[in-house]
Amino acid sequence: MLCIIGLSCMQSTVAQHCHLAMRGKVVERENGEPLPWATVYIREIKQGLTTDEAGRFVINDLCERTAYTLEIRHLQCDHFTQIIQLTENTELTFTLAHQHDLKEVLVREKAIEAEPTQAYAKVKALDLEAGQGLNLGESLRRLPGVSLLNTGATIAKPVIQGLHSNRVALVVNGVVMEGQQWGLEHAPEIDPFAVDQISVVKGAAGVRYGAGALAGAVVMDHAPLRSEAGVGGWVSSQYFSNGRGAVLSARTDWHLPGKKASFRLQGTAKRLGNLKAPDYWLGNTGQQEFNLNAIAVWQKKAWTHEILASTFNQKIAVLRSGHVGSLSDVDLAIASDTPRNNPNYFTYRIDRPYQAVQHNTLKYRAVWRISDVWKLNLQHYVQYNHRQEFDIVRKTSTAAQRPQVTFTLLHNTSDVILEHFPIRHWQGGVGVQLMHAANQVGRGGFIPDYQSFGTSLWWHERWRRHPLPWEFEFGIRADYRQTAAQTSGSLQNLDTAVHFASCSGNVGWIYHVNAQLRFAFNSGLVMRPPHVNELFAKGVDFLLANYRRGQSDMVNEKAWNNNLTMTYQRRNTLLTLSLFRNTIYDFIYLNPTGQKVLTIRGSFPEYAHVQTQRAVLQGFEGQLEFPVLPRLMLETNASILRAFRLTTENPGRPKAHAWLPLMPPDRFQYGLRWQQKAKDATLEMARNSHGLTLRLFASTTLRQSRLPLEGLLKPAPDGFTTLNADATCFLPLGKNQLELGLLLRNIGNVRYREYLNFFRFYADEPGFNLGLRLKVTFNDSH
Amino acid sequence: MSIFKFSIKNIIVLLTVLSMTAVACDKHDHSEGEVITTVQVKLTGTGISKTFTWNDADGDGGNAPVIESIELPANTANIVCEITVLDRSVTPENNITTEIVAESNDHLFTYTVDKANLTVAYDDKDGNGKNFGLKTKWTTAAASTGTLNIKLYHEPSNKDNTNAPGGEEDFNIVFPVVVK
Repeated sequence: MLCIIGLSCMQSTVAQHCHLAMRGKVVERENGEPLPWATVYIREIKQGLTTDEAGRFVINDLCERTAYTLEIRHLQCDHFTQIIQLTENTELTFTLAHQHDLKEVLVREKAIEAEPTQAYAKVKALDLEAGQGLNLGESLRRLPGVSLLNTGATIAKPVIQGLHSNRVALVVNGVVMEGQQWGLEHAPEIDPFAVDQISVVKGAAGVRYGAGALAGAVVMDHAPLRSEAGVGGWVSSQYFSNGRGAVLSARTDWHLPGKKASFRLQGTAKRLGNLKAPDYWLGNTGQQEFNLNAIAVWQKKAWTHEILASTFNQKIAVLRSGHVGSLSDVDLAIASDTPRNNPNYFTYRIDRPYQAVQHNTLKYRAVWRISDVWKLNLQHYVQYNHRQEFDIVRKTSTAAQRPQVTFTLLHNTSDVILEHFPIRHWQGGVGVQLMHAANQVGRGGFIPDYQSFGTSLWWHERWRRHPLPWEFEFGIRADYRQTAAQTSGSLQNLDTAVHFASCSGNVGWIYHVNAQLRFAFNSGLVMRPPHVNELFAKGVDFLLANYRRGQSDMVNEKAWNNNLTMTYQRRNTLLTLSLFRNTIYDFIYLNPTGQKVLTIRGSFPEYAHVQTQRAVLQGFEGQLEFPVLPRLMLETNASILRAFRLTTENPGRPKAHAWLPLMPPDRFQYGLRWQQKAKDATLEMARNSHGLTLRLFASTTLRQSRLPLEGLLKPAPDGFTTLNADATCFLPLGKNQLELGLLLRNIGNVRYREYLNFFRFYADEPGFNLGLRLKVTFNDSH
Repeated sequence: MSIFKFSIKNIIVLLTVLSMTAVACDKHDHSEGEVITTVQVKLTGTGISKTFTWNDADGDGGNAPVIESIELPANTANIVCEITVLDRSVTPENNITTEIVAESNDHLFTYTVDKANLTVAYDDKDGNGKNFGLKTKWTTAAASTGTLNIKLYHEPSNKDNTNAPGGEEDFNIVFPVVVK
């Protein structure tokens, strides 16, 4: 009897050479029933075992990138042999059929990228699940070196080692998000329920993700689609006391029987009302969201096709008291202890000022497995971003029926990537990218309309020869970008085109001292062309209460990023230490000119985008986890950053430096996690096992004392500590699974303000929040 | 293989159509800002009948605003002042005064004199019988020079306290004043 083998991989935890675990499951193809008592034998290590009643087996201590011959036998099947190579802990499903079919061995796997040589962190499944209902930032800020830049409590964007926006790439399912690039108050348009894995690359990631990844990248991926015939999915609902909100999300996955095609449909709806600070309501902070994601994956011979369509729709209220008309309004707001003009009550209603954002993505990807070594990746994606900002206006004016600012972005990207598996121990690929962006701003905008055309070429390779302890990698990339900017109907006439050519390079080493300890070093150069915003912005920025002016004669920013990371992992103990230094030549920043610009709303200090000779961002990040008791884990992390620019303002002291504004203050997170079932290194898999997890953690942020001398409207807020807790419980429900979660944030209802929140002038951060989570997973294929 | 090619072609067509639809939909910009570029102070009374203008026709930044000096006859009472608020960044210019009058309850003009011998008194009320200030009566004393700061507040919370009425400033301008 012949068997058809379907092989799928699920990415999981931290890689270590010769410490990889493979979890397998053998199932019957027709009905998806597990096949107990099948024998599994691995030739190379001469190890044999038998699947349990649920058809499962586990093999530990496998070496990475080493070929193993796996033999599986079952009474009703011919024995078959399959060669596998692991790059990390892997879960495989072997589907056996009782049919006289063509002998066909199908290998379906998710492209697993090698672990970066840059400092690197993965959001834990536990943090991801707990933060999903709140926002994406909530999960990200648990990582060392990652903080958030806020505009009030509802708008947040990630900051990696002090940099953000057009210096940090957000990559969702291979799509680099283009909507969030420049505006400080433009939050990323991502549904946290649509992604299953979030990792953060800290350091130059320009070769892989373009100039936008000068300081790093947040990489998010959806869960692999269903690999067994049938239907599965989950329904999740979350409730929050602060904002009296609810979030409902559901996902359904199908795999057509007898066909190599899978589908997914996932949607999220969210509604929250006004949030509450310890002493008052934060008037006008409600939000509404509706998102849909659809994915189809099918296989035809050596080709795998994927189509992804998603829509993200959000309406977010902007704190009423954060709305100011003039500099004297700002002064009054700063002088006032409680927010001015604050509607101090609860409501779900969203009033002006608010933002309405739509982001649609359509992606098509084809992967052609040319041979055992070569693989061709073709990808095209379209992003359509429509952002409307509604300001407070006179009710009877025609403006009252319209948004005050509209941004429309249409972005097309094509990628052709040729990848290869190890050839003489080198693994890598080359890629070509073409992109076109049309951005329409129109009247009232801060920046002109623009059209960009770009093309890039890159190549990266990685060397590893087992069992030598060394790994090397290098990458190079060349970019060309042309931007034509034009103002239409505005008073500030502009019609110009600019060209930028740039290149990026990257080298990395990893040295495995032993199975537990390794050192990684990465040195990268990324050139970033100045953004339209930095070149041509003009106008009063009410977030920073200044008049901002771009400079059209700027050159590429050049960042040279070095980081050294030590990782020690042994069973449940994890220690990561990273040192980084990012030297940026021709660093673009906002500098007060000392002039004031007189407007009809009074005079505003003028700030210009200028380039400093050299800016340095350096610091340290550390993470330590170890079991204090067998089931009780201590979890800590620290993020420390020093960011300054060299000035020539003091000729007597050529090395004088000035601190850079808006840099994250030092932060420490520490806590305890208790797990009902002690877990081994494959901890991330605990999300699917039954049991209870309790967690208590505190976050201490120090006061930012390193501030630029000029341009400070208000001293940086004091340091603060918040206490938080999570509880998660998995219960079996027949074939299904119930997950119950409890979330407590700011347990002490502490009054505090964040330095990186633009609305720190106006109001406190939200107070205590209690969240409940209920998730039913049905007919899970993993 | 031919099936594959067919599907690729379909997808390219689909993507192109979608892209074009998206472009076509957004040819028009529907946003509208609320801009004030110009404030006119029209004064009529004994020995005076003139309009003084604070004008920044190209909006924030760019060319500096053009500000006329208000010249008033000394020792004169009952000079009637009326304000006109304009947006000259569009053609034809937009008279915002109409909206302000229609929403008088949500607006308050305030007048602060520095150094000049001038007093300004409210001469109109809003829909709730509270201060409004589009129309005022001015009284001058001995010859002097100084400044007059005129502000328009939107959605003030306390119209009785003209020094700090709350809300936000729609404009905040200063005229030089010469009483002679």
